[in-house]
Amino acid sequence: MKHLAWPAAALLVAAAAVLSLAVGTRAVPPSAVLDALLHGGSSPDALVVRSLRLPRTEIGLTAGAALGLAGAALQAVTRNPLADPGILGLSQGAAAGVVLAVSLGLADGFSGYVRYAFVGAVAAACLVYAIAARGRGGASPVKLALAGTALSAMTAGATNVVLTSSSATLDQFRFWQVGALSGREADTVVRMLPFLAVGAALVLACARGLDALALGDETARALGHRVHTVRVCAALGATLLTASAVAAAGPIAFVGLAVPHLARRVTRGAAHRLVLPLSALLGAALLLLADVAGRVVRAPAEVPAGVMTALVGVPVLVVLVRRKGAAT
Amino acid sequence: MVLRPHPRVSLLLHRRSVCVAVALVLLLAAVMLVSACLGQTYVPPAEVWRTLRGDAGPYDLVVGELRVPRIALGALVGAALGLSGALVQTVTRNPLASPDVIGVGHGAAAATVLALATGAVTSPGAMPAVSVAGGLAAAALVYLLAWRRGMHPNRFVLTGVGIGVALSAIVQLYLTDSELEAAEQVKLWLTGSLNGRGWEQAGPLAAVLLLALPALVWASRAVRPLGLDTDTAAALGVRVGRTRLGLTVLGVVLAATATGAAGPIGFVALTAPQLARRLTRTPQLPLAASALTGAVVLVGADLAARTLLPPLEIPVGALTALVGGPYLLWLLGRDRRDP
Repeated sequence: MKHLAWPAAALLVAAAAVLSLAVGTRAVPPSAVLDALLHGGSSPDALVVRSLRLPRTEIGLTAGAALGLAGAALQAVTRNPLADPGILGLSQGAAAGVVLAVSLGLADGFSGYVRYAFVGAVAAACLVYAIAARGRGGASPVKLALAGTALSAMTAGATNVVLTSSSATLDQFRFWQVGALSGREADTVVRMLPFLAVGAALVLACARGLDALALGDETARALGHRVHTVRVCAALGATLLTASAVAAAGPIAFVGLAVPHLARRVTRGAAHRLVLPLSALLGAALLLLADVAGRVVRAPAEVPAGVMTALVGVPVLVVLVRRKGAAT
Repeated sequence: MVLRPHPRVSLLLHRRSVCVAVALVLLLAAVMLVSACLGQTYVPPAEVWRTLRGDAGPYDLVVGELRVPRIALGALVGAALGLSGALVQTVTRNPLASPDVIGVGHGAAAATVLALATGAVTSPGAMPAVSVAGGLAAAALVYLLAWRRGMHPNRFVLTGVGIGVALSAIVQLYLTDSELEAAEQVKLWLTGSLNGRGWEQAGPLAAVLLLALPALVWASRAVRPLGLDTDTAAALGVRVGRTRLGLTVLGVVLAATATGAAGPIGFVALTAPQLARRLTRTPQLPLAASALTGAVVLVGADLAARTLLPPLEIPVGALTALVGGPYLLWLLGRDRRDP
């Protein structure tokens, strides 16, 4: 099972990508998809695939991988099965950063977005951790989750002040705020890559340290790991990944929550050097499939990917919360 | 002190609570008067008083038609929210739990938006009923999902948050589907605002509050033993399960009606009971003082929302979220009994 996980996940991602290129209001047969990708051409099919669905698929792949990887890293750092960029308030923090920057006329275009998204996400991460760590019991899973959701509600309030005061900003953001892969500029992914690469490198470099963290801080120290450095490094990587995903696709919920659980189950709780990359692959596949499903559910209208992931993710959250151990 | 207007009727009154209630009523009156004076045009208090007495004057339109109905609605919504917060927090024995958190607001909002989007309900008079139904359904769902060999307060809150996310995703979907103008309307309603609202929305809410009064006299007696642990309350002859269910339903109905009238205004139900208890210093959450505190908070917040950034009006729900959010975070950071 363990050694089959890799090829299976890679195949799943490939299949999801093909579906994402082929499915929609204009169904394109896979052979024509391949033809359009290899030879271009100017048939309607080729145009739809190359100019609309290819950028969308690229964003789904990168944002999904970023969220999956960020979720796995955050769950390991906080030793918290409920951790994910959305629940810990990072996504809303990033979103608030973007909305405020745009409304103040600071950010234009994607490269500006991602900078402010990062600032917002870092601020949210520091706040949530500082609040949850106070009091008795320290930063327990549920306290972190509650602090994150409380902060999310507050930043959503701040974002709403901006959005209800300016109709232009609302029109620009109501699609982005839900989390959707469509209607982005074609070069979005290219601009995401540096942030993604740095974030992923930071997280993957911490893989062995994250394994040690699972044994508890004392044991990890005894094994010679710098617990504090590992935590900060992995959290910073996860924040970078979240910021780039949110800047490109909006605050998409729950991908980071469900995927690491799936990855750990498939690999039987194996080491993080397996779980982290697998989470990235599964995250990409999940987000793409959610996006494809959103195109089919109410055709010809579309359901944004973020809505689909929320509707699918909430049952997962409820199951996790009902499990013994998560709520204490 | 105990009031005995009749040998068979007795009413226990906490002296400090009575003083606090009187002070809160005076404060509410003052805030309402100030709110009637301030705005785009300043109206002197004497003119406000003249309009209230029903004498014709130059400011009849501004004060009588715009401000007074809006302020009255704000006081009613705030009272309903404060009261419902006190009931829900008493039942869950958790200062974090409030109708906002257990999905009532999101449920009411989703039901209202779906009714609008599908055109199933068109008459504005039916909207409060729709939002009450949505709020009740969401709260019931959260309760069922969080119940697992008992009720852990944190599990309850987290489940509520999750269901809230799913419901708000449905609402967001409607926002992206509709024309910009409709989206703006809904977005404004969803943020919670008293702008352009008045007697029309205040009527159903006042009716519900009046109907709830007899239930509240019962509730004020029933909440007292619930502050004790379950076994002691049961030993005192309280039907704990039934009492809790009754109080919760009452709290949810109040919150959902308030949501139907002014949109989901967050954090008032969460903060008002805690503020009120610090004023009265009673061991349990005071119901009347919570309602009055809620009214003061919301009328004050609406005044701020109207006058802080003229000519722009901030939706009052966004303001209460900005002020109430830090309070909630502070509450979380405090050393609490449960980890």
